[in-house]
This record gives sequence, C-alpha cells and structure tokens, in this order.
Amino acid sequence: MNFLPMLLPAIVALFIAGALLPLAFRDPRREAVASFVPAAASSLLTVALSASVLLSGSALRLSSPVVEAIPSMSLSFYVDGIGAFFMLIIGLVSTSVSIYSLGYSGAYSGKHSIRALGSLLNLFVLSMILVTATNNVFSFLLFWELMSLASFLLVVYEHEKETNLRSGITYLVMTHIGTALITAAFLVLYFQTGSLSFDSFRSAAGQLSSFTKGLVFVLALAGFGTKAGLVPMHIWLPEAHPSAPSNVSALMSGVMLKVGIYGLVRVTLGFVVPSSPGDAWMGLLMVVTGSFSALVGVLYASVEHDIKRALAYHSVENIGIIVLGLGLSVVFMSFGLQSLAALALLASMYHSLNHAVFKGLLFMGAGSVLMRTGTADMNRMGGLVKKMPWTALFFLVGSIAIAGLPPLNGFVSEWLTMQALLSSYQVPNVVLQLSIGFASIAFALTLGLASATFVKLFGISFLSRPRSKAAEEAIEAPKSMLAGMTLAGSLCVVLGVLPFVATSAVASAFGFDIGLVSSYAPFGPLTVGYAANGLRSVSSLSMPQVLVITGAVGAALLGFVTVVGPGRKTVTRRYTTWEGGFGALDERTEYTATSLSQPIRSAFRSFFRPHTSVKREYYSDSNHLIKRSVSVTSETREVFEDHLYSPALRAVVAVLDRVRRLQTGRINSYLLYIMVATISLLLLVVLQP
Amino acid sequence: MTLFTTGADSLKVVAIGALQVVAVFAFAPLLTGIMRKVKARTQKRIGASVFQPYYEISKLWSKDEVVSDYSSWVFRSAPWVVALATITAALFIPVFVPFSPFSAAGDVLLVIGLLALARFFTMLAGIDAASAFGGIGTSREMMISSLVEPGLFLTIFVVSLTLGGTDLTSLVGAAARSGVVIAPSMLFGLISFFIIILAETGRLPFDNPATHLELTMVHEAMVLEYSGRSLALIEWSQSTKQLVLLALLANLFLPLGMPTSIDVGLLPLGLGALAVLAKVALISVLVAYVETRVAKWRLFRVPDLLTVAIASAMVGMIFFYL
Repeated sequence: MNFLPMLLPAIVALFIAGALLPLAFRDPRREAVASFVPAAASSLLTVALSASVLLSGSALRLSSPVVEAIPSMSLSFYVDGIGAFFMLIIGLVSTSVSIYSLGYSGAYSGKHSIRALGSLLNLFVLSMILVTATNNVFSFLLFWELMSLASFLLVVYEHEKETNLRSGITYLVMTHIGTALITAAFLVLYFQTGSLSFDSFRSAAGQLSSFTKGLVFVLALAGFGTKAGLVPMHIWLPEAHPSAPSNVSALMSGVMLKVGIYGLVRVTLGFVVPSSPGDAWMGLLMVVTGSFSALVGVLYASVEHDIKRALAYHSVENIGIIVLGLGLSVVFMSFGLQSLAALALLASMYHSLNHAVFKGLLFMGAGSVLMRTGTADMNRMGGLVKKMPWTALFFLVGSIAIAGLPPLNGFVSEWLTMQALLSSYQVPNVVLQLSIGFASIAFALTLGLASATFVKLFGISFLSRPRSKAAEEAIEAPKSMLAGMTLAGSLCVVLGVLPFVATSAVASAFGFDIGLVSSYAPFGPLTVGYAANGLRSVSSLSMPQVLVITGAVGAALLGFVTVVGPGRKTVTRRYTTWEGGFGALDERTEYTATSLSQPIRSAFRSFFRPHTSVKREYYSDSNHLIKRSVSVTSETREVFEDHLYSPALRAVVAVLDRVRRLQTGRINSYLLYIMVATISLLLLVVLQP
Repeated sequence: MTLFTTGADSLKVVAIGALQVVAVFAFAPLLTGIMRKVKARTQKRIGASVFQPYYEISKLWSKDEVVSDYSSWVFRSAPWVVALATITAALFIPVFVPFSPFSAAGDVLLVIGLLALARFFTMLAGIDAASAFGGIGTSREMMISSLVEPGLFLTIFVVSLTLGGTDLTSLVGAAARSGVVIAPSMLFGLISFFIIILAETGRLPFDNPATHLELTMVHEAMVLEYSGRSLALIEWSQSTKQLVLLALLANLFLPLGMPTSIDVGLLPLGLGALAVLAKVALISVLVAYVETRVAKWRLFRVPDLLTVAIASAMVGMIFFYL
C-alpha cells in the first residue's frame, strides 16, 4: 500500500496539533514539550516525504480536500522534485531547530509565553512547507502570507524592546512590498494564460512573448528577492533576524530565505524558462545582483560586533552566492549549454541546502551563547570555549563550513560555484564573459572576507579570556539544545564528505542526468570537463578520497614524530601569557571584535565611510593636559539606508503630506469631492464610444 | 569504489606522491636557508649557513614548550592542523614531475582551500592566547588574506582560461607543451601570482619574516606564543608552503625544462626535477634580492599592492577574452 498520499495530511495534522496542544497546558515546561515534540516529529515526516518523492522521482499530486466551488480559489497541492527538494531543506533544519527549542524556550520561561512561541513556530514551519507544496496562485499566496505573518509575530516576540518593534515594522513593510510584486508577477501570467493554476503556467511557458517573460522575471526577482534578502531589498534582514528569538532566527535565516529562493526558482525555471540567447540578460541580472549582494553582505558582516547581526549579514552574502549560481545557470541555459546549466544549478541548490544547515547551526550556537551570557555583543564574550565546549565545537564546525574551507560542506558548493564561473568561457558572448569574470572577482573577495570574518566571530566570542562577568560565569547549554546542534553539525560533515547525497537529490529534483557533473558511484568524484587549445581535461574533486589522503598524511606525520623524531623527552609547562612586565593582564588589553576588524574597515573605507568621534573632557578649560575622560565612538554608515531608503521614505512622506490636505474635515468639501467624482464618472460613461 | 582513476597504476601514484612529499618536506627548510643567505650576502653580511633552518627545527624539537593558561585546545591543535593541511596540499601539487598523483581527488581549488584552512587556524591561534600581539597579527592577517584570496583566485582564473581547467596535472602538462608561455594573459597572471606569493609567504614588503617588532610583524605576531615542537611544526609548514607555491609558479608560468608527461623515461624526469629545483632556487634568490631593495610597507599601503595584483590578473583575463 502506498502511504505517500497520507503523509502530507499527517504532517499538517501534526503541526496543527503542535500549534494547539500547548494551549491546553499551564506549565511552561509542558507547553514546550507539547509544541516542539510534534514539530520535530512532523519535520521528520517532512524529510521522509521529500526523500521518498526525490527517490521515486515521481511527483505527488493531492486532490483538494476543500470543495472546489470556485476552481481558482481552491487549495491545490502538488509536490514535484523542486518542491520536494526545498521541503527537504525545511524538514532537515526544522527538525534540529525543534529539538533545540525544547531547551532554548527555557530561557523565556516565566518572562514570555512559551505557548505563543510554540504555536507560532509550528504555524511558521507548516506554512513554509505548504508554500512549497501548493499548485495554484491562491493557495501559494495564502500560505506565503501566513508565513510572513507568523514570522512577523515571532520577530516581535520580545515586544517589550522598542528596537524589536521597529525592526518588526520594517520587516512587515518590506515583506508586503515583496508580496505585492509577486502578486503582480502572477497577475501578468494570469492575463496571458487566463488561469491561476501553476499547471497552466507551466504548459504556457513556451508561448510567452519575450516582453512578458522579462516582465514576469523582473517582478519575481524583486518580489522573491525581497524575501530572500537580496541587496538592495535586504534592509529588513539585519534588523529582523537579531530581534527574533534565536531558534526563530535559525529558521528564518536557514529556511525562510530559501522559500524566497524556491519562488524564484519556480518562476524562473518553471514559468519563464530561458531558452534562447535573448533570455541571457535575466541570468546576467541575477549574476550581477547576486555577486553585489554577496559582497555587500560580507562587508557589513566583517565590521559587525553583534553576533546575530553579523550572521544575518552573512545570510545576505550566501543568498547572493546562491542567486549568482542560479543566474549562471540561466545564462548557460539560454545558450543551450545544458551540462554547464546543470553544473551551475547544482552549485546553487547545493549551496542552498548547505547554507540552511550551517546557518541554522550558527544561529543555534549564537542562541546558546545569548542564553548563557545574556548578550549578543561579541565584545562582551570571550573564553567561552572552556565554559561551553560543545557549543564552541559546533560553532567552529559551522564557521569552517560557512567560510568555505575543506573538508566541510561549504567548500564543496563553493568549489562547484567556482567551476561554474570558470566554465563561463564557453558562453559565446564577450560581454557576458567579461561580466561573469568581474562577478567572479566579487565572489573571490567575498570568500576571502568571509573566512576572515569567521575568524573574528569564533575567535572573539569563544577564544582568549572572558571580557565580562557574564561570560566568565557562563555554563554549557542544556542537552536538548546540544542535540539539535549535533544534528545540524553532523549534516555539515556528511554533506561535505559525501557530496553524492546532495548531488543526487538535486539531480533528481531538477530531472537532469547526474552524470553531467558527477560520477554515478556514491563515493565517486564530482567532475567538470574543460577544453582549451584543442585539449580536453577533467577537473575533479572527490571528498572521500581527500579524507583518505589526509588521514594517510596524518598517520605518516604521527609516525614521523613518534619514530623518527622523538628527540629529547620534552615537558609542556602551563603559564599565563607574558604580560610585558606590567602585571596581570586584564580583559581590556585583549583585542575586541571592533579592533580586530579595524584594518578591514580602513581598507574599505570608501564603502564604510567610518566615522570616529573623540570626546575629551578636561578638569579645567585652562589646562588641556589633564583629561577627566576620553570617549571614542566609531560607527560605519549604512549606505543603503542613507542613500536609498531615507530619501525614498522622505519623498513618500512628502507626497502623503500633500495628499492629506484633501482631507479637510469639512463636510461640504467632501460633498464637493463626491459630486466631482459622480460627474466625471457620468462623463466617462457618456463619452465612451 | 575506484579510488584512483588516472592512467598510471595506483602503486606508482602512491609512490610518486610519497616521494614527492618527502622531498618537499625535506628540501623546504633548505630553501628558507638559501633565501636568508642571499639576503645576508646582498646586505654585505656573511650570514648563517644555508642549513641553519634545519638546526633551528631540531633545536626547537627538543625544547620544552610553554602553553598559556588562557589558551584552549584550538591553540594546541592549530600547529597540527596547519602541518596536516600544508602537507596534504603539497601532495596535490605537481612539484618535481609534471604529474599530480592525486589529481583525480582534488585540483588547484582544493589546494587553495587547504592553504586557507591552515591560515584560518593560524589566525584563531593568534587570538587564543589573549595577548594583544596575537590580536595585532590576526587583525592584520585578516585584511591581507581577504585581499590575497581574490588575487589568487583570479590568477587561477586566468591560468585556467589559458591552459584549460583546474586539474593540476593537465595544467602543468599544457604549460610544458606550450614551452615558454608568452600569452599576454599569462604574463599578467605571472605578475599577479608573484605579488600574491610574496603576500602569502609573508615576505617584504607585506611582512618581515625576520622581525619581532610590533609595528611590522604579521605572521610572527600570530605565532608569537608558540614554542618548542609546536613552533617547529609551524616553521616547517611555512617553509613547505613557500616551496610548494614557488614550484607552482615555476611549473605554471616558467615551464622550461619540464617534460610534458610522466611517461618520458627516468632521465628526462630527473632532469626536469633538477630544472624545477634550479628555477625555484632562482626565484627565491630573486625574492631575497627584492627583500633587500624594498622597505616594509606601511600596513595601510599593503592593499594598494594587492589591488595591483588583482588588477593585473583582471587585465590578463581581458586580454584572454579580447
């Protein structure tokens, strides 16, 4: 018997149970169990559902459970490969986050309502899963809105802080601008096809004019790009993610941004379908915005000292890398280079999966630190590797993964992205070749800055000595939180060492032959073919072999040390760091996050426009040699807020001020408006031929 | 499971790999010694013997170690990670013969990744001991490495466009076949790669390997807290990285004397290996000579030079496409 069609209703039922059950309890501990255990269980079921769809390779279609009185307003579900792949991302991350939340919600016990957190979290995850499963515009937008509203309420969960409310409003406004653009894109498609079903969009894909294609694409890129956090629509992201509770940040950053990517992939590859060289500009637009986002995101992250804001900016960066890969794929597709299109798509989707896993892990690690030290300011952390050894280890794993270093998963997807960039010489257009070349400069700079930034994030938060009393007294996070992080951390390792898992999932989701980019064997290498000067060569990367070789080198090194070079028996003494003869070091002599990034800030000063003001106070005005106090404030400017959003906001407010004059408050002027309106409508009717 | 899918049989592959890595590891300190000697002579000093780095390593090896109480396991493990990553990277590079024994397993991008992993742990170790010196070093290295990375990648981009792919065996083979590479893209790539190597191995004008002055040191500041065996490992890895990168420069850009494939017989292979040694020695003499002619640059002028490297690679790329 086939259980597959039963899985989706079961998932929905479990999530709804997770949303309702906590309302029946009064005790915070029970509320947490009642909401997060069902969430974890249904997330696991989601993984099972998506894995079975991906393994069987056949899509799952569900007849609508709601009466189809109005066909376009019915709920319609269809889980194909693409939907299943993104469902897999959601399921994997939300499983580990749900387990983590069991312990993390303890931080709010007694202060905030745990049941609100649990219910909303269930609704949030459920709505994301349903977005990837819907098959018409109505149900898509319905769950999309549900997702936005649930996440908005979660962002303002700690509502007593005014900054959280402000970031919540920014998020709400930006996400609705995005929704408006997405709706517009769907409306254009509706006018072309006369239907609101995704099936008819798909079947009409070949017949759209190039203008319609372009219009739909631009609207979708702007709309879904707002959700995904592409520059310059990213401004809500570094506000909203730090405001939300950390388990929610992990979901928002790891998963919700990917739902934005899902929408972009669905529209671009499903409805617009680039097929002729004339469509290459769409890919180029994505390459440009993607590489720009990556660079801007990592630059802001590199000077940030709030750990969650830094991670949020890194999300902007990684979304940029994902969109860059997707754009390359569209460029290759437009020129009919199918195997390269598969390579770039694989890079992009692999990175989506990877980013979900390691960013979820990093936000969970940041949450543990936040819970135990009560601060997100890295300048007040330090020394946590001794107080929270497991959290530190997981954060290090996440840092190595996101910095794109071998042998973890970030390296593999960035290797694929680099290969896609290097393959761009096959595009028969010199403008595109050069633009992609320039994009790869931005990409490489991003990688360099990212690994430097994670030295700072891990080093300042976890290494050296505690910089505050709170950091000194921190203790390890509860076991359930460590369990959640263990799951995500081991996924980072598995996806890095066994790329076959991810490559076969992506190949099955998008229906391309895996042999185009990788060998068929589970332990075989990833391969990319090149041709130059009449010669053919194959670049390959096989992580299992790299691991074996590294292990052999390690064994040889150990053997060398123990057999060949034992030398004299040496003693290792422990002593404090040499303080230069000035007496015991205190934490003020240590490097901080701000001072560590000072050279980067000054190397990129034309971007950051750093502003440092020094305030000196003297005991008397006559003698400026003896100072009472000196205080230094240093800040960097938000280019996009200063030069894009503030002027736009001012202009809107100015226009609205004019409009407000219409509203005089006198009844006779309103009667005048009504008369004018009526007469002009009558005239319109009369004059119409 | 096919572990090695190259033409040569796997025993030969492992033998070449092992021989090469042993040779690299053994010769690396000698190269450092030669550079110091040349530098001393151009400064009208006699200088220490070229074997001095070996004496230093063996001295450090038998010394006791002091580890700061403030530091953690990250500090203790960093030298091992650095050594492991550097030696593994050396295995993937064709140094003496035009053949990378494990090119079925990894390419030049993996090599860059492994070297970046080593740097990542060195930078973390700099912070770990809570000394402000380590912080200075890490902070400077963060800026330099974030600009070195794009330069290195772009150079690889240019090389890969001109010679095809990222597989090191075929890259070096293609370079050897084309004889002296005079393609303009390769010339600009050479300029940028040379600058990148100076930065990557911590030579003047980026960093002074012979100083312990807080105003100037970068790499030395990061490893300041190390002593004994850990320091020996770090120094040895640093020499290895230097040799490997210089050999890569010689093999990709100055392939003179390198046989085009591994199947040409022992004599040409041996001659090729000697040629590589000679070229690497020559380049290191050049580097040492440059070091006596330039002063250490002010830290905030360093980005300018790295920008020159990036721009040069960019020009190379434009030359290739136009």
